[in-house]
Amino acid sequence: MKKGFPTISKEEQTRITTVVVRVAAMLLEYGAESRLIEQLSSRLGVALGCTSIEISLIPSAIVLTTLIGDSSVTTTRRAHEQPINMSIVHQIVTICIAAEKNPRDIMMVETKLANIHSNAYPAWLIVPMIGLSCAAFSHLQGADWAGFCITFLAASVGMMVRRALSSRNYSLLIVFAFTAFVCTMIASLSFYQGLSATGSIVLSSSVLLLVPGFPYINSMLDAFKGYISMGWGRWTQATLLTLMSSLGIMLAMGLLDIKGW
Amino acid sequence: MMEWVTLLLNSLWAAIPAVGFGMIFNVPRSALPLCAVGGAFTYGFREVLMHHHLSIELSTFIAATAIGIIGVFWSRAYVMPRPVYTVPSIIPIIPGTYAYEMMISLVSMNTDGVTDALLSSFIQNGLHAVSILFAIAFGLVLPSMYYTKRQKPII
Repeated sequence: MKKGFPTISKEEQTRITTVVVRVAAMLLEYGAESRLIEQLSSRLGVALGCTSIEISLIPSAIVLTTLIGDSSVTTTRRAHEQPINMSIVHQIVTICIAAEKNPRDIMMVETKLANIHSNAYPAWLIVPMIGLSCAAFSHLQGADWAGFCITFLAASVGMMVRRALSSRNYSLLIVFAFTAFVCTMIASLSFYQGLSATGSIVLSSSVLLLVPGFPYINSMLDAFKGYISMGWGRWTQATLLTLMSSLGIMLAMGLLDIKGW
Repeated sequence: MMEWVTLLLNSLWAAIPAVGFGMIFNVPRSALPLCAVGGAFTYGFREVLMHHHLSIELSTFIAATAIGIIGVFWSRAYVMPRPVYTVPSIIPIIPGTYAYEMMISLVSMNTDGVTDALLSSFIQNGLHAVSILFAIAFGLVLPSMYYTKRQKPII
């Protein structure tokens, strides 16, 4: 028997590994940066009694090994695509800190993990808020008030379409392309009988709800901190999303034959 | 005096997208007010710098670095991962219009044929968009690069 690690059997180690890899996979799915994933899972593992945690990340999966003395358990999990949810990431951080305060208490970690809730904002709040956000963008770029109202309408409808498609589990790329199409269709109202003098600003602001801000920033953070492959993966994802939204915009413009710029 | 009032109003307008995008990213409710403050601060700070004749890229970089440093303190005080505050805060300064103009000129080059005006608009807007994007990202990364030197994590 190893000195210092007398009490953890192989079964218990497997249980610890399951908990830690679940935390890591959730962090990866809900959009945490790679350094946070690695730090949190190794802190949690050490708090639960491991000597150390080794982790290997690629954008779609996670490989994790727990080491206790000489015995090691390795497992792999596939990460499924989920909408970004910082609330869940925050709850996991809280659980990890609580585990560090009460080390070796795996029951507490398991119950708390089972009770994580997504805390989604209700539709009646998020839809007008996104409309107002894009309208505020158009105002900052110097659109007139008619343009402001059209942007508000276009972005709100776009957000509704995005939520509806996301809840039906369509691929994120399809969702982005279709939302951009709908937004541009509605925003082109501003060219109808010269309703707004600043049509091109309206068009460009109403699709801003599709900016993939988190993937871009996460990819840069990852690449700069030494997780090159994760950085590339997230960069590709963000670029693909941008390209698909441009595709939707181009399709709508081609259909309507807009000549306003 | 009038300029300061306009600046303040515009900063308040910029706080709205920060909160709205915070909701898309589903940040915890308690973080939303700080996202609003961050968005208003970032936009206002960049406007002030640009008013003093700095280029848009440089002012964006400085504003993003500032919010990155502030994010470290907020994240320590409220035990929250830093991107919860920093990413919604930089949303108001994202170069959406430049990227859009670049795409439009690309499409019209395809349909109407390449002209000097379209080509220069494409290159100019594209360069602006890419360099502003890099300025934002590098500004946010810089503070945490400093903290990765130490072994102790921020939160």
